[in-house]
Amino acid sequence: MIIFKKVDKYYGSFHALKDINLHVKQGEVVVICGPSGSGKSTLIRCINELELINGGELIVDGYNLADPRTNINELRAEIGMVFQQFNLYPHMSVLKNITLAPIKVKKMKKAEAEALGLELLEKVRIKEQAYKYPAELSGGQQQRVAIARGLAMRPKIMLFDEPTSALDPEMISEVLNVMKDLAREGMTMVVVSHEMGFAREVADRIIFMDVGLIIERGTPEHFFTNPKDERTKAFLNEIL
Amino acid sequence: MSHARTQKLTRIILKAATVVILLLLLLSEILFSSITLFFKSMITVIFTYPYGVIYNNLMFFLFGLRGKIGGLTLTILVAAVSLLLAFIAGIIFGLMRNSRRWWLSYPAIGYIELVRSVPLILVIFWFCFFPPGLSETLKSVGRVYYGIFALIAFTGAYIAEIVRAGILSVSKGQMEASRSSGLTHTQAMIYIILPQALKNMIPSLVNQFVSLIKDTSLLWFVGVMEFTSTIFATSNREVNTTVTMGLYFFAAVVYFLVCYPLTASSRKLEKKLGVGER
Repeated sequence: MIIFKKVDKYYGSFHALKDINLHVKQGEVVVICGPSGSGKSTLIRCINELELINGGELIVDGYNLADPRTNINELRAEIGMVFQQFNLYPHMSVLKNITLAPIKVKKMKKAEAEALGLELLEKVRIKEQAYKYPAELSGGQQQRVAIARGLAMRPKIMLFDEPTSALDPEMISEVLNVMKDLAREGMTMVVVSHEMGFAREVADRIIFMDVGLIIERGTPEHFFTNPKDERTKAFLNEIL
Repeated sequence: MSHARTQKLTRIILKAATVVILLLLLLSEILFSSITLFFKSMITVIFTYPYGVIYNNLMFFLFGLRGKIGGLTLTILVAAVSLLLAFIAGIIFGLMRNSRRWWLSYPAIGYIELVRSVPLILVIFWFCFFPPGLSETLKSVGRVYYGIFALIAFTGAYIAEIVRAGILSVSKGQMEASRSSGLTHTQAMIYIILPQALKNMIPSLVNQFVSLIKDTSLLWFVGVMEFTSTIFATSNREVNTTVTMGLYFFAAVVYFLVCYPLTASSRKLEKKLGVGER
């Protein structure tokens, strides 16, 4: 589904991703963790080309991202993304936030899109907020709307870039629960997160990054019980 | 310090203080008398002013010569039309200015920076005197249209900068979120970025409109019969300086009455928008 082959990414002279090799299979849930500045957000943002790669090959759902002829809008329509800061459209109601892309990109009928929107809002358990504006919602509710918005294009892949890092502690679980539902339904997910409980429970694989490199990868069991690298051990000691 | 020296110093200080106090008294006397004189003459002017000059020409000031649009009506019409078209030009050039493609951004930067560093009166002269010299057809077009073009070209550059700042004021995440959902750059601009940017721009746009209303007075130089021209035309027939000054004062009052409600509403709007969503 997502194949990184020797991917390199630079910001000017800063080497943000170094020789990344990673293969995410369909239906797999991969959690990426690591200290800040380790390149995990950059990695996930490369998948839908919010960041351009500078070397290597990145193939997502059959689209080659290094190829300039690739229609990026087509690919992005198949990938949902959830951001740390929600990034909901403040001038639109919750329902409009969700229906905008289906109506404009998929040319879906308005009624059909709204039915879909309400269905998705029910799935993230905030149907009653459909006609409110984002600013009237709590952080946890806003993030769930963002997830519904991401799902509105019926994506094959969902990307989560630190989805709970901007939330108050009591709101984290409501967002994680929605994400767990998604994982159980077989969605292919790449999640940048420090929620180790979530990772242990849901992830098929955990990847630990530092200084632009993938340091450690493996099942949660392997990752938590016998990490090989010293940096992983140090990180786990700090975070658990 | 000896006793004698202290006494000497005190005497000098006392002398200096006396001089300063006397000077202050003198100054205040001059100030006071001139102020009273000013108010006295103001009151005399107010009570003895030949208001007929204003009253008899009121229709001329407001609507211009019979059969033609002029006066304050023309001023407001020119300002409104110019604002509307300058707004469209401003959005186009503002978007071009923000573009990452050099062949879009460079011409926009050139235009904006050129116009912003040239006095408006020169822009007006260029537009009103250059094209009519080129051909007979262009000559037959009314001055007022060239004047409007000049105002559009001038204000458009300023609005382009406002648009640019407005777009930059919308957080980067909005563009990222809309692009990630599959919208094209243009769609994201139209549905997500511009609506939010426009809201942030409203106060600046109102201010630009107020400037524009006042700037139309410069069209007097090229013979457009807008409000200021009607005032000048009338004052030219008067010999008495007091009467002329009264006309100018009247003109100022009228501009104030038109512009102040706009700035006041813009301030209110600013407050309202500030308290809003974020």
